[in-house]
Amino acid sequence: MDREIVHRCRRGELGAFEEMYKRYGSRLYTVAYRMTGSAADAEDLVQDIFLQVYRRLDTFRGEAALGTWLHRLAVNACLDFVRSKQGRRQRVTDSADDLDALEAPAAGPWRPDAALDRMDLERAIAQLPPSYRRAFLLHDVEGLEHHEIGATLGIAEGTSKSLVFKARTRLRALLRGRETAGAAQPARAAAAAGEAGRSGAR
Amino acid sequence: MERQTTADADCGRFAALVHDRVDGTLDPDLQEELDAHLRQCPSCRALEADLAAMKGAAAALPDYTPRAEVWAALSQRLAGEVAVRPRQVWTGTRVALAMAATLVLAVSASVWLLRGPAPAQAPQASAAQAGGPAAGVIQSKEDLVQDVDEHLRIAEEHYLKAIAGLEQVVKGGESALDPALAATLQRNLGVIDQAATESREAIKAQPNNQLAQASLFEALRQKVALLEDTVALINVMRKGDQAGAARILGGVSKS
Repeated sequence: MDREIVHRCRRGELGAFEEMYKRYGSRLYTVAYRMTGSAADAEDLVQDIFLQVYRRLDTFRGEAALGTWLHRLAVNACLDFVRSKQGRRQRVTDSADDLDALEAPAAGPWRPDAALDRMDLERAIAQLPPSYRRAFLLHDVEGLEHHEIGATLGIAEGTSKSLVFKARTRLRALLRGRETAGAAQPARAAAAAGEAGRSGAR
Repeated sequence: MERQTTADADCGRFAALVHDRVDGTLDPDLQEELDAHLRQCPSCRALEADLAAMKGAAAALPDYTPRAEVWAALSQRLAGEVAVRPRQVWTGTRVALAMAATLVLAVSASVWLLRGPAPAQAPQASAAQAGGPAAGVIQSKEDLVQDVDEHLRIAEEHYLKAIAGLEQVVKGGESALDPALAATLQRNLGVIDQAATESREAIKAQPNNQLAQASLFEALRQKVALLEDTVALINVMRKGDQAGAARILGGVSKS
């Protein structure tokens, strides 16, 4: 099926692109949304990604599944975008990455046996420092291995592992804090919720 | 107090092992030691439970659906790309380039047939395909050659029109480029211009020189491609997209 879509796309059939978009657009948009934290940026990125797909379709040899190839393209495009955006902001937001001292988890119990609220987790992820967030998303959400993350981000495998460790510890603190003290950092959480509100969950 | 400090230090060490276990990468030799610690440490047991829940929830996060407007905008951009495949061209030059490419393709067969050892019947058919005089009207070979020349001239005009449009855009945005890079691009454009000039001179001396004609159109095509890349570069530089710029420059150096 994917092979057929690729073949038709190569012939320039817009209908085939629409099929590809319907099949993979949400996946790629979600990757972009979570990596950038912005629905508007994700919308621009998903367009850019599909244009890249069109331009690079001749390089798709079918060795990997189409979805895997698209996902890789999307992750790289998102990382390029995030890096350039960070560069423009002179890494202001990344300053928190250097803080190894993490908040101690609040004393109140977090009920791991209860279903973890999706929106709470999304909001907490949005509050992570960028480098933590990227590593966590790629590992725990997108399912990449540490060596793949290392290659993708240009960091050592051990650094990826350390970033995921720190991200999880920070997330745990945020989630426990939210449960005991209400929404942690309400302004940022509200901003994240507002952004998420622009997109409809599938 | 001392026992508490030791326990904290142990928990720090075992926390890493808990992460490994949640990821399914725990060294089997450490399994027993970790289990023994967890049995006596509620804090680390809570950590394991929390991480397992978090990892499960993260892996199960649902996808979001982009707004319908995203496909609408994307399909327009894709349609533009498809129209001028394989190169990225923007609206102002798209039509001119498509026409030029069509003309060159259509006419090239006629040129070969007319100027090469063509069979007697071929020129008429080729001229008709090239959009020349109405099919069925018999023309002399000289008339047909003139007609093909006219089409090539029109094709060249389309390329030149596209180039002029691109040059205007580049001129307006050149300040976004690094001066050294801008100078390199100008030098490369100069080399292409020189090739085009030499091809024109060869055609002037030998109007039937097919190699020179092919060379001229190749030079024009290369100039369009380089100008397109330059415009794309200007766009990404304006956005501060260094990685995008590196990608384009990589493509330029390969082409």
